[in-house]
Amino acid sequence: MKKSSYFYLTLVVCLFWMATDQVKAYEFEVGQVFPNLVLPSLEDGRPGSITEFRGQKLILHIWASW
Amino acid sequence: MVGIIPEQHPDRTRLFMQWKGMDWPILLDSSNLLAVTKVPITLFIDEYGVIRSVQPAVEELDDFLNQTYQETTQPPQAGLPDLEQLKKATRQDTVESWRAYAGAASLWGESSQITEAIEAYQQALEKEPEHGPTHFHLGVAFRKRYDSEHRQAEDFQKAVENWGKALDIDPNQYIWRRRIQQYGPRLDKPYSFYDWVRNARREIEARGEIPAQLVVEPGGAEFAYPSESFQTAEAIKEEPDLGGRIFRDEKNFIKVETTVVPSAVGAGETARVHLVFRPNLQIKAHWNNEVDDLVFWVDVPEGWQVDNPYLTVANPPDVVSQETRKVEFELRSPEKPGASVTIPAYALYYVCEDITGTCLYRRQDIPLQVQVSSR
Repeated sequence: MKKSSYFYLTLVVCLFWMATDQVKAYEFEVGQVFPNLVLPSLEDGRPGSITEFRGQKLILHIWASW
Repeated sequence: MVGIIPEQHPDRTRLFMQWKGMDWPILLDSSNLLAVTKVPITLFIDEYGVIRSVQPAVEELDDFLNQTYQETTQPPQAGLPDLEQLKKATRQDTVESWRAYAGAASLWGESSQITEAIEAYQQALEKEPEHGPTHFHLGVAFRKRYDSEHRQAEDFQKAVENWGKALDIDPNQYIWRRRIQQYGPRLDKPYSFYDWVRNARREIEARGEIPAQLVVEPGGAEFAYPSESFQTAEAIKEEPDLGGRIFRDEKNFIKVETTVVPSAVGAGETARVHLVFRPNLQIKAHWNNEVDDLVFWVDVPEGWQVDNPYLTVANPPDVVSQETRKVEFELRSPEKPGASVTIPAYALYYVCEDITGTCLYRRQDIPLQVQVSSR
């Protein structure tokens, strides 16, 4: 399967998972600017932030492997 | 697509992503600085950093991608904190300055600076003791130090104590609760946290790839499945050194660390006890694997239960070795536990002095301090 297909399939799974899990997030609100937080990247530990992606639309998934 | 992970051990995320073929950027938030109270959370964020949907339905995706959003005023791009400036600012001796330096040192400092981060969090807590997030962050820092070369023997227990304190302050913080449950007893587990690791490694290898290495291997508690009842071993062996006749390890060949998770048990509640046995490298002590396995025995007090008071750690195939050995067991307090209790326990092992030294059979008494909470 192509990588792009994996991406969209995983995205759909994430969104479907959200719909069936009925978890409501109270921390974020539509219209709010996402917090300007610098965090280490998994790839190499260098600083990263959501602000790096300005200029493109973003699907952000906050999750855990457990 | 971007992910943010609030896990204590982010290297496991790397393995998970390799397993599932996920390759988008991930940011690590072990301390849960975002202060999310649950996962998973999905957000649509527009080109200007504005959240356009929270927990969106699949059907919203096309609209989001096709929508033209109005440009909004954007805050400046975040930069890396200046550790030196933040450290100097702690001279103001305010809770904010201590927290700022602690967070920056914990996240961006060299591994040797984790102790400074811990001390700074502790300074902040002296000024505001009932601040849940600071307790949680301090716990994360203690556990980070425990997993580093700067480890101190009680770091894991202090991590658990601070996570517990954070949860006492805000019992609805699901991320904080999960951090304790990850290492805790089966009666308090929602699911197995890391049972997927075995499958992941097997399937990655079957593809001809090398699984991403983990910095910290999951322990028994992290693999364990939840249980609805407290289970004890069906056949329990006899106490191995009933008369206490085996010579004690007075030279401290083996150093033992104990951690109880959670750090206090209420009436009828369970805890998972973690024991770590480390050969004393300063005196070049090492395990002798030619004879019996390491044996651990718990002398269960009246009214208390232990899932198995007789545990062993199998010797590796090498004749001698210096690896760290771990044992975990679970205990349950009685319905009226009374005050905190000291549970007698001990370990028996074969250990050698130095490479050409004598190999000895020794016992180490390990009194287990179990705090009892009043809840």
